[in-house]
Amino acid sequence: MAPPEPGPHPATARGPRDRCSTGIEALDNILEGGIPRGSTVLVAGSVGTGKTTLSLEFLLHGAERGERSLFLSVTEPAAKLVENMRSFEFFREELLGTGMLTLVDIPVVYERLGLDHEEMRPDEIRIFLATLDAFLTESRARRVVLDSLTSLAYRIQREERIRDFMLRLSEILTAHGCTTLLVSEIGPQPGRYSLRGVEEAIVDGVLLLGNARRHGDILRVLQVIKMRGTPHSRAQYVVEMTPIGLLLAPHFQGESGPEE
Amino acid sequence: MVTESDLGERLRRMPPGSAVALRLDPARYADHYLLAINATVRDVGIETNARSIYVSVTNPSALVWSIAQTLDVPPERLRIVDAISHIMMDYRNPLPNATYLESPRMLENIMLRVEYLLRKEPGQRHIVVIDSVNSLAIHNPTKLLNEFLHILLNNLKARQVLTVLLAVRDDSSPAIDQLLALVVDETIDLGEGVAPP
Repeated sequence: MAPPEPGPHPATARGPRDRCSTGIEALDNILEGGIPRGSTVLVAGSVGTGKTTLSLEFLLHGAERGERSLFLSVTEPAAKLVENMRSFEFFREELLGTGMLTLVDIPVVYERLGLDHEEMRPDEIRIFLATLDAFLTESRARRVVLDSLTSLAYRIQREERIRDFMLRLSEILTAHGCTTLLVSEIGPQPGRYSLRGVEEAIVDGVLLLGNARRHGDILRVLQVIKMRGTPHSRAQYVVEMTPIGLLLAPHFQGESGPEE
Repeated sequence: MVTESDLGERLRRMPPGSAVALRLDPARYADHYLLAINATVRDVGIETNARSIYVSVTNPSALVWSIAQTLDVPPERLRIVDAISHIMMDYRNPLPNATYLESPRMLENIMLRVEYLLRKEPGQRHIVVIDSVNSLAIHNPTKLLNEFLHILLNNLKARQVLTVLLAVRDDSSPAIDQLLALVVDETIDLGEGVAPP
């Protein structure tokens, strides 16, 4: 496995305001053009809030624009993800064959590396990260999604090890010039965006997906909690999943504000 | 007073991006309802080569579609955002040209379905019909409705889309009247003497 080249990657050396368009027009507008390139962003939310869909759109948009994109799937088999991507009108099968879009089943990687302990030991974490580093070198990916960080963190368990893992992961991704979405599964209660709470302190940004109630109806909502390197709105937006991608509208507050 | 023949003509003459309130007389609701659909979906839609997006909160899409068929509206020219069938538990035979929302309280999603349909056909002329302000007001507090119509109509105006809001006279409230006065460019009152098409 070849180590990453020393020094900042060209993609990150172009300045902090260079943007990585998510492909979701309204989100790009909120972020004044997109995610600052080279950032590592947590996409947090409870089940069914659209985390994977948003992440897939981000990758497909990148691949369409000629940026190599890598999906590291811990929870769902790659074949199922491909099926999900077909629901997007802009999905093209050839993106998979040409290496512009690569899907990796992480459980298969665990198996090949012999990482079969329920809790990963420090040496196993190092092996896993080195393998990830090699994937990035080989794939020359500029966009990465890890779905989900939570499932991975369950195998690390100890808070200090998660912190070390996150720091090293962040270093590797930055060295490769990747703009990365780390999917984080959280409960519906507010106030925390990851399994241990240390993850959100290390990442550059947090996108929160959730549900808002209005008189018994449930609206999918998105909020940018933090994004280093760009001013942004912290307002909630209602999300609609459509075959042309995610669409966002302001969340109307009415007289008393939304029920949460 | 507006006659059938000049309603379509008046709507066709409206500048792009206009918002018009059509006030229906509750005493002649059925006639006026038919007249409104005829003038918007058929007259404006077909004669200006525009696609119609019909937001139906009053009646299920099945009824709107059957009226449109009676008026010989080609199916490809009409898309219906149906916000009422679900809560009426009348969702057994979905129409291919309709999109269904769970409830008329999901105002943001109504806006986004319209947005989706507009984006599906870029470069195409569109007319959006909201049926109706009164029905929306049954399910939503006034301030929420104000926000929705204000933002929706501004978006549609920016896209040069003609928007027609149906409102039932006498069923209205000062709050709705005030709201309509704020958001529309013109109000057309369908008075007596209007014959159905």
